Amino acid sequence: MSERASVESGVISIAGLARRFGLVQAVHPLSVRIGPGGITGLLGPNGSGKSTLLRMLIGLVRPNAGAAAVDGARLVGDGLAVRRRVAYLCGEIHAYGELTGRSHLAWCLRGRPRASLQRAIDLAKRFELPLAKPVRSYSHGMKRQLFLAAALAPDVRVRILDEPTEGLDPTRRREVLELLREDAARGTTLLFSSHHLGEVARTCERQLFLRRGELLDENAAGALRERARLALRVTWPAAPDASELERVLVPLGPIEKRLDGASATFFFPGGLADGRAALLALLLSSALPDPRAIEYGEPSLADLYRELYGVEGV
Amino acid sequence: MRPRGLLLFAAAYFVILELLLVAAALAWPAFLENIGALRSMAAPIPVLGAAMDQIQERGFPAYLLAQHFFKGCNTLGAAAAVLFAAPAVAGEAHRGTLELWLARPLSRRRILLERWGAGALALCVPIFLTTLTIPILAERIDEWDPLGPYLECALHQSLFLLAIYAVAFLWSTLGSHPGAIALWMLFVTTFEFAIYMIKVWTHWSLFRLCDIQTLLDVIDHGLDVPLVGGLVLASAACLGASLFAFERRTP
Repeated sequence: MSERASVESGVISIAGLARRFGLVQAVHPLSVRIGPGGITGLLGPNGSGKSTLLRMLIGLVRPNAGAAAVDGARLVGDGLAVRRRVAYLCGEIHAYGELTGRSHLAWCLRGRPRASLQRAIDLAKRFELPLAKPVRSYSHGMKRQLFLAAALAPDVRVRILDEPTEGLDPTRRREVLELLREDAARGTTLLFSSHHLGEVARTCERQLFLRRGELLDENAAGALRERARLALRVTWPAAPDASELERVLVPLGPIEKRLDGASATFFFPGGLADGRAALLALLLSSALPDPRAIEYGEPSLADLYRELYGVEGV
Repeated sequence: MRPRGLLLFAAAYFVILELLLVAAALAWPAFLENIGALRSMAAPIPVLGAAMDQIQERGFPAYLLAQHFFKGCNTLGAAAAVLFAAPAVAGEAHRGTLELWLARPLSRRRILLERWGAGALALCVPIFLTTLTIPILAERIDEWDPLGPYLECALHQSLFLLAIYAVAFLWSTLGSHPGAIALWMLFVTTFEFAIYMIKVWTHWSLFRLCDIQTLLDVIDHGLDVPLVGGLVLASAACLGASLFAFERRTP
């Protein structure tokens, strides 16, 4: 591990961290500094390396290369020094069904100060979880909330959460995101992975994008965001006739476009203003049906996700 | 296996061992009365015949070693060793709780040693507890034996079973299918016990390390230090390998 990760309070510092599973490079060497404070979202499709990266950060998976430090503790050995300073939420929800909710919380918080358990119980009560019942009687979402209560209870400066809202109903999801915001307002650094672009857009000050184990350069992500900002997206009630669309666009000369079902995204090399009016005029005067929606300007995270991964986000 | 489950299994294991011991001890007078006939019946199986000779020669201690340690502890104990060890780590992986188990702010070394120790205690404590009742049972049938040598036998027996436990535990640390691990280990131990009964193969069986003659030697001369040392070394080596593997295990 030649690279050095900076050791600062409340900061997640990653320097060249990488992990290979057999022939598969799950995470390519990546470096990033997160915090102190704030909520950072980690985005990427399934298999992009999000969970592996989070697991590496708390010592669950040993990196093949690189270094990391979390809240002033270097990631060495089995990562105990980091785990003592970080609260972690597992991505996969498998619980000890025979334990009651309360016993399960106590089990999860073993090794933490006693006060953590009381906070976890208070949180679980806020989530209206039946703590006296065995966890096997809980639904998937209830188990997630139980795990969340255990992850949000410890008084730590960094929380790493793997898909904290997966399986929750919209009301509870909003409540959890509000809790995360409150936590960040107290100065906690939060890093969480998610597939839900909307919640990441609403909650996170910063977004990191992983693609096939590679962290996209934030400048590159910025450039893509700018490219998406200069794009015009038209949605019709039904998929337009591609040949008719081609014919309509001839007067504009070569124009980069991406047809995706009932939507088409147009990119203007010289800037949106140069072609927007002409394109809309041509479309409206053509034999194509009138568009149902026309979007341009500030791109949504969904646009950016589509740009990055070529697939629709959730 | 979770602590409560382990405790229940250990309690059941103790109760069965004790019931076997009580039944065997109380049957001793009838056994002694018919030992000649029993010897003739055992004659076709040379290993059993030799055991009967030892019992005829040494009396109640040899009978007790055969019934409680060689038969009871070796068979039931070996099964318990496998059943306690197989799900220790592989069970967590199988049910998907390995990540949760390892994500707590505890060192992996501590997590593993706690689990290893709990299983080892569950395996060995019943052997010692049942052994403690031997003098009481002996008194009821007008036999008298000092407890000390039997406790040494219990220690020898425990170390033998711990070696089996340690091997199964190592496998559990590496694997993710507790059922398959348990089945294979039970197959191997049963096979080893079976070949002990075949005279020409007896010396190839692991149970040679904890048979009636070995335990009689413990009663007569105390613990066989090289043998006990070897058993301890085998357990320690497996535990060390388990720790090494567990430190690197990915959930």
